[in-house]
Amino acid sequence: MAVRQRLRSVDGMAFNHAEAGLVARVSRLSKSYGSGQNTVIALDGVSIGIRQAEFTAIMGPSGSGKSTLMHVMAGLDSATSGTAWLGDTEITGMADAQLTVLRRRRVGFVFQSFNLVPTLDVRGNILLPFELDGRRPGPDESAWIERLIDSLGLRDRLGHRPHELSGGQQQRVAIARALATRPDLVFADEPTGNLDSRTGREVLALLATASREYGQSIAMVTHDPVAASHADRILFLADGRVVEDRERSSAAEISRFMLEMEATA
Amino acid sequence: MNRLKEQLPSVLVATLSSAFGVALLSVTGVLSQAIASDDAVGGGTVVLMLSAVAMVFLAIAVYVGAVVTANTFATIIAGRRRTIALLRLIGASAAGERRRVARSGLLVGIAGAVLGTIVGLALSAVLTSIAVAGGLLPRIGYEIAEPVLLLPIAAVVLTTWLASWLGSRSVLAVSPMEATGAAVEPTRDEVDSRRGRTVVALVLVVLGAALLALGVLVGLVSPLGVLIGVVGGLISFTGIVLGAHRVMPVALRLTGRLFGRSAPARLAAENAVRYPERSSRTTVGLVIGITLITMFAVAMESYRAILHEAAQAEPELYAGVDQLVDATVTVFTVLIGFSAVIAAVGMVNNLSLSILQRTRELGLLRALGFTGGQVRLMVLVESAQLTVASLLVGLVLGTVYGWAGAQSLFGSMSGAPGIVLPAVPLGLIGLLVAASAVLIAVSSIAPARRATVVSPVAALAVD
Repeated sequence: MAVRQRLRSVDGMAFNHAEAGLVARVSRLSKSYGSGQNTVIALDGVSIGIRQAEFTAIMGPSGSGKSTLMHVMAGLDSATSGTAWLGDTEITGMADAQLTVLRRRRVGFVFQSFNLVPTLDVRGNILLPFELDGRRPGPDESAWIERLIDSLGLRDRLGHRPHELSGGQQQRVAIARALATRPDLVFADEPTGNLDSRTGREVLALLATASREYGQSIAMVTHDPVAASHADRILFLADGRVVEDRERSSAAEISRFMLEMEATA
Repeated sequence: MNRLKEQLPSVLVATLSSAFGVALLSVTGVLSQAIASDDAVGGGTVVLMLSAVAMVFLAIAVYVGAVVTANTFATIIAGRRRTIALLRLIGASAAGERRRVARSGLLVGIAGAVLGTIVGLALSAVLTSIAVAGGLLPRIGYEIAEPVLLLPIAAVVLTTWLASWLGSRSVLAVSPMEATGAAVEPTRDEVDSRRGRTVVALVLVVLGAALLALGVLVGLVSPLGVLIGVVGGLISFTGIVLGAHRVMPVALRLTGRLFGRSAPARLAAENAVRYPERSSRTTVGLVIGITLITMFAVAMESYRAILHEAAQAEPELYAGVDQLVDATVTVFTVLIGFSAVIAAVGMVNNLSLSILQRTRELGLLRALGFTGGQVRLMVLVESAQLTVASLLVGLVLGTVYGWAGAQSLFGSMSGAPGIVLPAVPLGLIGLLVAASAVLIAVSSIAPARRATVVSPVAALAVD
């Protein structure tokens, strides 16, 4: 990825994202729904950065705002106040057309419900981001895609449709699609939520490998301590605020912290 | 594969429209040739009237096909929302997705036009030879295919393309957020655009009604009044189609009370009213069909009434005209049935599509303890409610349009009595009610069966 050296003023301070190793960042981000007495605050002044080439888990109980945070960071939802950057591009306030191109080229998605296009076969689904961009993958990109197909074990499934695949296979196709364009950041939303525990572990290992070996930055939203234990770094959210930021932890430690959080709430 | 299956009804509609148009103009050409060959009638005016009538019928058929196609595309897109949201999420632009839909609309139009031309020419040839054999037309060499036939072909291709473009406008409203499974609130823009649509609809209805009235008045001195009337009819009906989300719920609320207070009946009534967009999409096709049939029948009946009085006033002028009128009525009756098929195809297709798209909702009802029979009953009552409401609206509209059409086209005939009352053939209403009952049954068979065959768990798992 090209290193961006441009300087940008943030809250009056000079801030160099590349130097700080941040691939995405939000500052004093707030999001509320409804108005008057019915106002629901989903995010309450969140400021975090997702580090380059790291596998970050965003954890928290239901309603903690973790999905909303992901949606705003990915340019899917608007913020009520505050700013969000992808690299050194400010995405809050971008027009829909710009966000569309941004999602196409610089962001990848992996979902709980796989979200493959049912009418396309495996290869069609993996190449979809290129097709939407109106171009064919270059020789470099083709080699990368072939490598992904092999390392994800999809070689003999290329002509299959999503409904002919198991859940784990579908999720591997989704991962291949997300990695194919070598995006700045891959967002994974409960990627193991619909999988049995063994298949889930395989998927998590694949994401961790992508981050470690290919330097892919990944932000994963989850409420599963086992899933979060595969990440390099774990951010905890509760009631729309960041309450903890810790390095790699075991599932037991994560569970203990979450239980303590419950107890003090 | 699925995509192709979704497009088949639209191809069928385009085929029917172009077959209708081609056959109509071809038959009109044949009739004009017959009249020209027969000096006894001496009918320069009759040929002029025939051509005017043919153009009217053509405009109506193409219009009906376009509205039905636009609704079919809108229904297909309602069912594809989730896939479109996913594509938007991955980075497809809304405009690009819409262009893709419109491109398939153009292909559908071309395929339909080609098939329709073949069917239409065959139909015209068969009708002509039957009429000649039966002695309705003189035995001369008829020209079946004329350059004027390019008109309906081009019209069908262009309107199907346009219809797919208009029907796909909801693509722009699909938010990529929908693919994440998060609830999406309707934006202010959507609410505003709905209000704007109501205002536009109202303006079109008023403007169209005024032109219609003008057409009737001009019709008292010249048959060209019908052309003003047609414009008025198209404008006012477009207004009603646009405002269907305001018109249909009123009719649906009225008919919802007819089916009792059992749980399936109440749910069915609620379903139809709660989603005004969906129920108006489903009913508009049928409203058009019934309006059309009623309009043709009332126009024909009123025409006979005017002719009858005119013939009594000046018997010598209308002496030889009876046979010709019979031939015209026979041909047009066949054509009426044909255009009714276009609307019926749209209706059946839209209702089954929209119910098939609700697999999850029906699965939920099954999981909550509805028996298969109750779900089937609900689907049946829902389609009955939609059909009866369409029947009522269509009968009223059709009577007004049919009368205005006959009055503006034939009001200036020599010896005509000025303004006559609309003549409503009662047999027609009975026939429409019977046909509607068949439609209700046919259009609910497939979805009701599917709804009860799928297990509740599988149905709930559908996105």
